[in-house]
Amino acid sequence: MKVTIRIWDFPTRLFHWSLVLAVVAAYITATLGGNLMDWHGRIGSFILGLLVFRLIWGFVGSTYARFGSFFPTLPRLAAYLKGRWHHLGHNPLGALAVFALLADLSLLVGTGLCSSDDIAFEGPLFKLVNDESLKDKLSGLHAQAFNFLLVLLALHIASIGFYRVIKKTNLILPMLTGKKEVPKALAIPVTGGGPVRFFTTVIIAGAVVWGVWGGVELIKPVESAPVPVTTPSF
Amino acid sequence: MKTKLTLAIILATATAAAVAGPVEEQIRFRQSAYSFLGWNTGKIKKQVVDHPETFNKDYVAAAANAIAAVANSGLGELYGAGTDQGIGWKTSRLRPEFFQKKDEVTVVANHFNEAANELAKVAATGDINAIKTQFGKLGETCKGCHDLIRIKE
Repeated sequence: MKVTIRIWDFPTRLFHWSLVLAVVAAYITATLGGNLMDWHGRIGSFILGLLVFRLIWGFVGSTYARFGSFFPTLPRLAAYLKGRWHHLGHNPLGALAVFALLADLSLLVGTGLCSSDDIAFEGPLFKLVNDESLKDKLSGLHAQAFNFLLVLLALHIASIGFYRVIKKTNLILPMLTGKKEVPKALAIPVTGGGPVRFFTTVIIAGAVVWGVWGGVELIKPVESAPVPVTTPSF
Repeated sequence: MKTKLTLAIILATATAAAVAGPVEEQIRFRQSAYSFLGWNTGKIKKQVVDHPETFNKDYVAAAANAIAAVANSGLGELYGAGTDQGIGWKTSRLRPEFFQKKDEVTVVANHFNEAANELAKVAATGDINAIKTQFGKLGETCKGCHDLIRIKE
């Protein structure tokens, strides 16, 4: 006996696919460089908003979006590896990947905000870092965090392929529709993550992004752009 | 009199050649060159991209001319043997592969020179949109060298 449940709530799916598009766009703009670097910075800040959203949603979202429901504890991992884990949502190994992805993306965004490409781009928080060699290190860490992201994404996509081919399970469709057919015995009611919580979380995430762009001026006023009326004569 | 003048010219040339001498000196000169470039690209970015309402044609043209002048100064001379190791104003970030990749470096470095000269030309017209486009192209050529031969910290 199978029933269909809403395993991934709408905000989680919206987060996931927005993140996919944003990461691809961030990669393309960084690779092409030039004037697109300003867009790279804006996209990075959008990703900041997405991450803040997801971190909060991990506590106030619906059942399978909550971190507590899939946190990869040792007993859960052990049970999974012995083939004795039969629940819904992220499996413990997948959950490890989820947290690794979130942590690495946070590092990527955090360092990116404080980075410069030493050409004509500075992240919105770059001016807050006063130490020259630290600035260089943060920019370098940004590049390394991206390389690590590629490794994680390769694992992510390979796992989806593994489930599709070997375990005959389509993981992509539920992430699009939110719906999944599950054995009735496993189906517990999905709760939480209503529209009020959704909009509140969006507003908080938006406020953080605004703070990073506009708020930095409140902490440390950036010298206003010089407006030379004439070119200096010497 | 003429002999003296010739002698002076020869001496001056010899001194100029000697300037790019010790490793540390070469590294210092090139680090200075790039930070001077950074000052000038920063000026253009501010007036052309970030705050176009402050655009001042002469100010931007002066910055573009300075960039072109640095590009045309023959920076390649500052990349002598052994200059991947050493401290100028700070430790050099030149990758040792530079010396095996000289052909590729020549290509990207020439792109930079062309883009810088074009920017100076465009800046002279005062067309802010054209300057912005060319400024972006210049940035891409900077990235060419950064990706190829610069150590990511």
